[in-house]
Amino acid sequence: VTSGRVSDAGELTQVLADIVAEGGPEASRRIGEICISLLSVDRAAITLMAGPDRQEPVWASDAVAARLDELQFGLGEGPCVQAFSERHPVLVPNLADVSDSRWPTFATEAMATPVRAVYVFPIQVGAIAVGVLDLYRDDPGMLDKDALGAALQVADAALWGLLDSRDDYSNNLRADGPDVLAGFPLRHAAVYQATGMIMVQIDSAPESALAALRAYAYAHNRPIAEVADDVVARRLRFDEETS
Amino acid sequence: MNTPPTSIPPENIEQDLAEAFVQLADTLVDDYDVIELLHRLSANCVRLLPVDAAGLLLSDQRGTLQVVAASTESTHLLELFQLQAQEGPCLDCFHTSAPVGVSDLREDDTWPRFAAQASEVGFRSVYALPLRLRRETIGTLNLFARQPTALPASQLRVGQALADVATIGILQERAIRRREIVAEQLEGALQSRVVIEQAKGILSERGNLNLNQAFDLMRRHARAHNQRLSELARAVTDRSVTVDGVPYSASDQPL
Repeated sequence: VTSGRVSDAGELTQVLADIVAEGGPEASRRIGEICISLLSVDRAAITLMAGPDRQEPVWASDAVAARLDELQFGLGEGPCVQAFSERHPVLVPNLADVSDSRWPTFATEAMATPVRAVYVFPIQVGAIAVGVLDLYRDDPGMLDKDALGAALQVADAALWGLLDSRDDYSNNLRADGPDVLAGFPLRHAAVYQATGMIMVQIDSAPESALAALRAYAYAHNRPIAEVADDVVARRLRFDEETS
Repeated sequence: MNTPPTSIPPENIEQDLAEAFVQLADTLVDDYDVIELLHRLSANCVRLLPVDAAGLLLSDQRGTLQVVAASTESTHLLELFQLQAQEGPCLDCFHTSAPVGVSDLREDDTWPRFAAQASEVGFRSVYALPLRLRRETIGTLNLFARQPTALPASQLRVGQALADVATIGILQERAIRRREIVAEQLEGALQSRVVIEQAKGILSERGNLNLNQAFDLMRRHARAHNQRLSELARAVTDRSVTVDGVPYSASDQPL
């Protein structure tokens, strides 16, 4: 694999939007493969998590990536576990650096593989945390600024992909138009606020509330941010809508 | 805008400044909540400088700026801050890492869309100061005044010092030797703000409140119970807490 660069942020956004739009069981694999082809990483994995000790591998680029994931969850320590628990990325540019002694057992075992650098991104938006995106590189070093931004965008896209695979609201939902995803509507305060309001209206977890918001936007062919504005302005309720 | 700006007589400014920085320094030593710190910092800007509103925007590291705290959580003001992810002084300040200011927006046509919206909310003057760590810019401090206002260099220095405290607060107690920690902490701060927005939604629906009231109740509860704002917000989202003053409805019992 030649370590490619993300030349155009708009291009990445479009590719991710297309994958999320097509959805289906292959979405996670395709999202993961983008990391290998566009970011300067050698291996990647996507893991669903419901708690620090409850996880389910969704996709791994190869046996080494799969093994490193398994190892962490077996040990109950490592960058994946930490990223998920602390809800922020965990970036380890050099596994051999002993001063970074947050997970001694994991680091020792990981050094037995070719991997030398680990970058983990929680797949999350606020209270909604569904898993982690793990990126591995065989030589030490930090992701550059563009690659870091791209990885965060990939994790955002993976959230939509995993919401599909988890939630009843989305079972029959295959295609969001790229418009619905445009500019990652997750990054919009009204979407966050509406998610909270819908949680109360349909008595659900935040994942289901976001999925319901998204399903409504799709069914009515409207941008999700606009539907969220209606919810926040109390022009639209989901307890009436879904019953 | 609920409260008119308090103008401090000149002889008290020095003492007020000292008190503000002592208070902020105290916070930084303690176990503190980033969003609460930034909120207080925004309020301090309004108290110490001749401005009527202040807010903080952070880079989401995906190419956009996001609002994380403001002196007043009014929807119109937050929208005005957020608009600057596309156009306005904050975006320019972020890209150049240099302060940007316009003393009278009516005399300036740099950002037509931004100026129109600012004027709709009642602002004539705007400043943006960079949140800088060495060569990296992680966000901006945004100041607004209702009157045409030319901030003198001394006041811009005070604003920049407050922006620097914000940077230190966001990046937390660790010595930031490594760039990766900046990236980790920045995303952590943004996610904290997202949880607060989600919790605001829950409380406003549950208590039939507007979002601003929901935010105030949450802050008050956090202070009264000596809890971090972000942790309280997280507890609200997983329904493990009842916030003072917000009833549960019959159909919405804690799990």
